[in-house]
Amino acid sequence: APASKMAALSGGGAPWRRGWLPALQLVRCGSKAVTRHWKAMHFQRQKLMAVTEYLAPRPAVPPRCLAPRKETLEEDNGYVRLLRRQVEEVFRDNRMIAVCQYNSMPGEDVVLMRHYLRKHNIEVKFVLNEIVRPVLSQSKYKNLLPLFVARNILLVSREAKAKEMLRVLKGVPQINLLGACIDDTILSRQGVENFAKLPLLEAAQGQTVGALALLPSQTSSLLQRGSAHLTALLDQHIHRLQAGETGSPAEPAPAQSSGAH
Amino acid sequence: KKMASKIRVVLRPVKSIVVRFCPFESNVESTRKFLGCINHKKIQATNRNCEVTADVRHDGSEPLVDVMFADGERLIMKGANLTTIEMLTALGSRCDAKELKEEQKSKKKSP
Repeated sequence: APASKMAALSGGGAPWRRGWLPALQLVRCGSKAVTRHWKAMHFQRQKLMAVTEYLAPRPAVPPRCLAPRKETLEEDNGYVRLLRRQVEEVFRDNRMIAVCQYNSMPGEDVVLMRHYLRKHNIEVKFVLNEIVRPVLSQSKYKNLLPLFVARNILLVSREAKAKEMLRVLKGVPQINLLGACIDDTILSRQGVENFAKLPLLEAAQGQTVGALALLPSQTSSLLQRGSAHLTALLDQHIHRLQAGETGSPAEPAPAQSSGAH
Repeated sequence: KKMASKIRVVLRPVKSIVVRFCPFESNVESTRKFLGCINHKKIQATNRNCEVTADVRHDGSEPLVDVMFADGERLIMKGANLTTIEMLTALGSRCDAKELKEEQKSKKKSP
């Protein structure tokens, strides 16, 4: 069929008439040039595509023979630096820093808890571990490092109101107190509870002063006890003698007693 | 690799979960993440009566997860050498098994 077509269109050879269109157009597979399905390429086209496929250029030395490049992750964004500075400030300014584990809480509970803690001047800060860890490792709080795993929040305050904080946290079951750093002293959860049970600082100071002042106040009375006892005995004696004088004359008695001492 | 927060656990046959760990140790990461995942609202929503308690100690003991089931069975997972995903899948598979048993029981009772 292709041979007959070519013979008709070429004009050479011996057609019956010029411009002869074949009556039968034999078409294989019955589809047009542009189809909605993938159409198999003509064999010549297939061969051309196979020959002209892309071959990636290979480097002369394979990359694993060269020394490995150290990818410096120095992505110090301004934002990361700002967050680090904030964390450093927090650790410097506040007396009490408590680290708690944060399990997901409904939003209103978070707001309520923040409100109650704000009343006692305690701030709630959400922190990211990757920012806090380098700051801590360079400062003196190295022992707080193992605490910062999984989601955490920090409760920071200028005063050390452990009792109120514990009371609020008891009402929130999803926040677990892990540890605290109060006045540069690292405490565990038990330590915080004990700290909360301590009396106020002024009361403790007053108690200490009273206990210390008790002994010196006793010393002076102890030292004077001997002579005071003697004075009392003499007085008693004089009274008895005076009472005896009025009763019966006993003149040499006071001279005897004064002579004996 | 599956993310720990995508694992769904049906807590209906569970009565209570106690997670005990010592935060100053270094092997508590998976246990803490397990606690965080369990407190997710979707998993908590499957059973509102399940109490999840966290026991924070400082005595160097190893991290422990103690699960009490409603039929009296107890599952203890020592999290020192387990990953979060392993713990969640273990708990999840046991819960599913119990659910199936309960469904079969209820089907037998009410034919």
